[in-house]
Formats: sequence, C-alpha cells, structure tokens
Amino acid sequence: MKISYNWLKWYVPKAPDANKLAGIFNYHLCEVESLEKKPGGDTIFDLKILPNRAHDLLSHQGVAREIASLLDIEYVDPAPKYKIPASIKASTDKSELKIDIQTSLCRRYMGRIIRRIKVGPSPEWVKKHLESIGQRSINNMVDAANLLMFNTGQPAHVFDLDKLAEEGLIVRQAKTGEQITTLDNKEVGIGVKDIIIADSKNVLGVAGIKGGKIAEVDNKTKNIILEVANFDPVSVRKTAQALNIFTDARKRFENDLSPELAAYAMRELSALIFEMCPEAIFENVVDVYPEKQKEKKLSFSANKISKILGLKVSDKEVEDILKRYNFKYNLVVGAPLGAPTTKFTVVILPMRLDLEIEEDMAEEIGRILGYDKLKGKIPKINFEPKVNETYAKISWAKGKLLEEGYSEVMTYTFCDTGEVEVQNSASDKKFLRTNLTDGLKESLKLNQLNAPSLGIDKVKVFEIGTIFKKRGEEMHVAYGDKKEIKEMTLDEYARLDLLQAREKNSPAFALGGIGQGTHGSLNFSLQPSHFKMWSLFPFIVRDIAVFVPEKIKSSEVEKIIGKNMGDKVVHGPELFDEFKKGNQISYAFRLVFQSYNCTLTDAEVNEIMTKITNKIKENNDWQVR
Amino acid sequence: MHPLSILSSQAYKVFADMGFEIATGPELESDWYNFYVLNFPKDHPALDMQDTFWIKNEKEKVLRTHTTTVTARAFEKAGKESRLPAAFISIGKVFRNEATDITHEMQFFQIDGAMVGENISLADLKGVLTYFYKKMLGDEIEIEFRPSFFPFTEPSLEVFAKFKGKWLEMMGAGMLHPNVLRNIGLDPAKVQGFAFGGGLDRIAMIKWGISDVRLFYQGDLRLNQF
Repeated sequence: MKISYNWLKWYVPKAPDANKLAGIFNYHLCEVESLEKKPGGDTIFDLKILPNRAHDLLSHQGVAREIASLLDIEYVDPAPKYKIPASIKASTDKSELKIDIQTSLCRRYMGRIIRRIKVGPSPEWVKKHLESIGQRSINNMVDAANLLMFNTGQPAHVFDLDKLAEEGLIVRQAKTGEQITTLDNKEVGIGVKDIIIADSKNVLGVAGIKGGKIAEVDNKTKNIILEVANFDPVSVRKTAQALNIFTDARKRFENDLSPELAAYAMRELSALIFEMCPEAIFENVVDVYPEKQKEKKLSFSANKISKILGLKVSDKEVEDILKRYNFKYNLVVGAPLGAPTTKFTVVILPMRLDLEIEEDMAEEIGRILGYDKLKGKIPKINFEPKVNETYAKISWAKGKLLEEGYSEVMTYTFCDTGEVEVQNSASDKKFLRTNLTDGLKESLKLNQLNAPSLGIDKVKVFEIGTIFKKRGEEMHVAYGDKKEIKEMTLDEYARLDLLQAREKNSPAFALGGIGQGTHGSLNFSLQPSHFKMWSLFPFIVRDIAVFVPEKIKSSEVEKIIGKNMGDKVVHGPELFDEFKKGNQISYAFRLVFQSYNCTLTDAEVNEIMTKITNKIKENNDWQVR
Repeated sequence: MHPLSILSSQAYKVFADMGFEIATGPELESDWYNFYVLNFPKDHPALDMQDTFWIKNEKEKVLRTHTTTVTARAFEKAGKESRLPAAFISIGKVFRNEATDITHEMQFFQIDGAMVGENISLADLKGVLTYFYKKMLGDEIEIEFRPSFFPFTEPSLEVFAKFKGKWLEMMGAGMLHPNVLRNIGLDPAKVQGFAFGGGLDRIAMIKWGISDVRLFYQGDLRLNQF
C-alpha cells in the first residue's frame, strides 16, 4: 500500500520526519518495502500491510490513526470539518432511490442520488493526492470515489443515473449466461454464484470488484448514484479469482471490511462531491443494512499477556495502551483465594476485526511496547529427545558414502516425465522425479567435464532424497560413477550394509550407535570461510613434463612453474606423474587455465606455456619433454 | 559434502544441544497438514502468501510449502504419547510455485522448530534463536523481532539478524495459535509455545557468500567447497 507522507500529515500534523517514521513502521507495525523521496518534498512509503490489519490499514486515515495512537500524538479528525450538503427528499414526481438486495452476501448497501453535478477536472489537491500514490486523475466523480478508498479504505462506485433502466438498483446473484462489459472494455462472463449490481435490464457491475461500461460516468453525466456498500469477503474473493480481476476494491473487500465504515465513507464522499459541485442536489441516503455488525468484547489479563510475551506487563501499561487506542474497557479486580487477579474487558472498535482472542491482544501490546523489550533466555524443559530413525539412517549413509570417496550432490525434484504431476507450475517441468539416477547422470556428465578444474580424475557422486511414485513417496539413496549408478531405498541400503558387514564380520549400521547428539561420523568445521564462485568461461588444460637430475625435488620444479604461470590458473600446478630413468627423474604437472572475464584462447595459453618452458630450460640439465 | 548438508548437520547439532528432538515427515502432504491444521482459513487471502504446487488429480495433496507440517505432526504425536513439554526441530525440502531467480527457487530447504510447554514464551524464542544464529553465523550476531503475520502464530514475528553490520530477514516466528494447538489435540488453556521457520539456503548464502540460490540444486561439485 502506497502511503504519502504529506497526505498522512493532514491527519497527524505532529508525525515525526519520514525517515524516523519508516523505522517506527518497521518495528511496531509492518515492513516498509520501499521509501521514495519525491521532488516536491513528499515521501512515499510502500507499506506491506499485514493481512490481519488489511481491515483498517489499507488507507491513509487508518495508518494515521495507528500512528497517532502508537506515538500518542494528536489525530485530526476531518469529519467535523466536512461541508455537509443539505439533503432533500426525492422530488415529488419521483420516488426515492430503490435498492433491492436479494442476497445476504451484500451486508450493507448505501445509495444516494445526486442531481445536477458537473463532470470536469478535479481540484488540484485531489489530483495531487492521487498522483502522489501513482493513481491517474480521470475526472472529478471517478477521482472522488478513488480518493475516498485510499483515504478511508472504503471502496465506492458512481453510476450514471440516466443510463439506468429506472431509478433503482438490484443486488443479486447472477443468472446463467449473464455477461458484463467492464469499465476497461473487457467482456466478462459471470458465474451463477457471483454477486452483481443490476437494474431491471442490465448488469451494471460485479459487486465489490469492478464497474460496468453501461452506467459509466462520462463528460455528459448530469445525475448520479453513489454506491457505498459492503460485501462478503469470501464471495468477492471467489468471484474475482474466477474472473481473474485484481482491483483495489477487491483487495479491500476480500480482506473483510467493517460495514460500519460505510456510513462514515458516505458522508465523506458526499462532502467531497459537494466541494466539487456546490450546485448539486443531494437526495437522502438510502441505507439497507439488514444485520448490524455486532459489538465485540474481548477479555484478557495482563498476566496472560506477560506469560505469552515472557515480559512483565503491568495493568497500568495495558490501560495506557487501551486509552491511546481509544478502546472502551473496564478492569475488574477479582479476589479469589490467594493473590488478587485483574481482568480487562475491552469493547473492540468495529474496524479492528483482527482482535478476537487474548493472544491477539498479546500481539497488540507486544508490538506497541516493542519486541526489543524481550530479554532472551534459553528455557530448560523436562523432555527426553529420542533418536529420529530416518535422520539417523540418512546421516549414517552420508557418512559411509563420503568415506567411500563419493561426493554429495542435490538435484531437482521436478522433471519432464513421471507418475505424479503438479497442477500448475511456473516452469515447464511438471512431474516429480521417480528416481535419483536420472539427476545423477546429468550431474556426472557436468562434473566429468569439469573434472580437470576440480582436480579429480574419477567423479563419484551420491544423492539421498525423496522420489515420488503413484503409490507414494520414498526416500532413496543413489550413488555411482560414469560406469554405473546404483539406486535403492534408504532402508534397502541399510539392510545391504548389514549383510555385507556380517560377511566381513565388521560393525554395521545400528540405531543405537547413532545418538541424538553425535550425528553420525560427519565432521565439519565451524570456521568461517567464503564461497568462491567459479568462472562461467571454458577452461583449458595443459600438461608439462620435465626431466631433471634425480636430486631435484618436484617442489623446485613446481615453484618455477608457479612463478611463471600468471594469474589465470584455477587449478595446479598438480604433480600427476613421476618416474625415474637412469639418474634422471621425470615430473609431469597439470595446469588448468580459466579466466573470470573472458574465454581464453589457445594462443594466450601457449604464450604462457612457452614462458614456463623457457624458464625451465634456463637450468642446466633440465629439459622439457 | 553438499553445503546444505553441512549446514543442516550443524543446525541439528545446535538444536540438539538445546534439547530439541529431530523430526521428519513427508514432502507430499495433505492440504490439512499444510494449511488447515495451521489455521489457514479456506478461501482466504492468506492462502495467497504461499504459491502452492497442488497435485493433479489428487485434490487434497500438495507439495509442502513449509516444514511446519512436520512440526505439527510431531507435536500431535507427542501429545498423544503424553510427551509434553516437548521441542522438535526439522530440516527438509519445501516447494514454492514461483519463477526462479538468484534469490528464489522452486525447491529449497526449510528449518522449522517449536517448543511447547506450560510457560514457553517469546522471550524463550529470542534466547533459542540468538543461540542458534550465534552458533551458525558467529558470536557477534544480534537478532531482533519485528511484527508480522502468519495464520498459525499469534503473536507473529519476523526474525532479523545483524550480520556484518546489516539487518537481514531470516525467518518467520511467533507463538503457536490456540487454534493450531487445538487442531493437533493440545489444550491451549494448559500449554503454549513458540514456533519458527525459515530458509536454510538463505543462511548458507549469508554464511558463505553464495550469491545464487539455484547453484544448490545443479548437482555441480564445484559447489562443495567447505
């Protein structure tokens, strides 16, 4: 949610500067995903509003109220300053706006006819607000509804009254085969469970998600209906998912809004339009609100909060927070046997749909106080850990294979064919592997190619991992080299070993042998070290063999090579062969050249080899073979 | 050995020293253990938080999106066997259906753990995680909590660690939601506990300065440098 600092300041004029505020958001409310300083002096926060606070914080006023309570600074309520238009009854020759709600999934619908409006550009401050958070100004009517949503969190819609079949709206489930052309000119087929806004002839909008073209406000629009409504979050979400439509209205409704917000929003929207069109005639608001949101109470004790947080929180601290957040509450002191206990009962504000249980209050109080207050300690519990058989076997198998000279790899679970398929995938590999062998083959191929730069001549790899068959998943062990790969279940591997051990009369895998804390025979260093990314360019291998008098050590030759080989050697010089002939000895070294910046050419490497050769020849009785 | 194997051995050892038992569980999970036991409401935006691989023709099966599934199973069993208080730790492969890049991979390893008892608190969580990160990343590590949201914890937190002067997001954590405790057969009036979970790959990348998460699953031995 993009939040403009200047916009916020309308409501919390004493808010700290933008940088400081960002820190406060991060530590007490939610993550600031980005902070953008605008040329005009505004700062735009991109707040990652948490799903449980999407009821009240997807709006500037919501965030401002939160800051005011959190920091105990003034919140300037704009409502008393609104110019409230004089409201009239519908003129005598016309009946009042009719709103016919045929589904309980519409929890509240407030409609209002306004006549003699003038569509035109918005006032500068409206444009500025909208543009600051990346919204385009369209015309004053559309802007008013948009501004309302980003200001209060309540979506609204404006219909052109004269484009309706009659002066009335119906909220109902769609019928089979109904369609709508949305405001962005998309033909959309509506499902029978979807809730729509309609008149007697046409579908005018998909409830809470998107308006339709038919009753669109345009430059000629004279008379309008304002819609400020509340819809069931699950229904909105299902419809929007089926239609694949993402709108700001959807986002707010699917997270559940309080129907109480509508009345406040209708007042603000009317005031806004009144400011834009002082000549307009406002008819009475028609409010269909079959079941008023129930008042919710929540009881908790400071003791329980303290126990959850692991931090002593006093009644007084709790009271202070409740006051700042404008909660009505009472504190009852009970005196059962022993120490007196106290219990808070709080009337939850209608917008705070997230507060339902004691643990919610623990979070509320924890984040407001700040989690930096917690003093970490390691608890001692009376619990006897058992050995996990699967892990013990894996750990033992790894140790054994490493000992036998195999290196461990991990390969992808996803592949092109298999027995178990995923429904949707961001990649083209939609099946789960049925074996580890295929992955190991690829790994062997790759590593065989790189063997010289790895400094190994025989590549042996293993993987221990899950494979997926129709009958279920299995933990497998696979190991091998380019000649042969063996694969079996982990259990078979352990059994096989047991048999071999019996033959050789040597110790085999036994659960008892691997304790909880020993983790097999795996040794590792806790020393910090740093990963070195390999070069993505091809390498070149060169061997050089030197005949020297037998008293010369290989290290002397190696030193000369090392001094003259330059900085492009990623592996070597490695002595891979030596033999005596007469009173002479031959040493053969391997060098692997590779650059991090480019593909080396044969010519470049030849030049280096020539240099090395010449240096070696400077010694009497040394010759390069 | 593969770097993630080294790291998971280290992590298991650190948690074993604090009295945790190792737990394991299936990679192909029911939606019950992956979501609903963990208090994800059906048809709720919270389900969007994790891009899920659903299995074709098996409506209720998913590739687990977190190993909190293992934690839930372990405590359910421990409850039945009257082994409370208890603490479990699991490291396992998890799957997310998202486009891959240097920080995102469709498969990665998660470390997930929880401790449940009569008085286990967020302060205990802070102690346990501070010890863990000091052992994994060095003694100079500091950690801090910031507010977050997960359906299965209340309060919910994001855990940050300060490594080489920078605060890095490490894992999600919090106190197990009473609905979760109830769903696995425990009584929230009697026990409470913390839970945490985050990517092991991420710790490896930070610890060793590995810049691309995709390197872990190429089967490339040039990765095995430690």
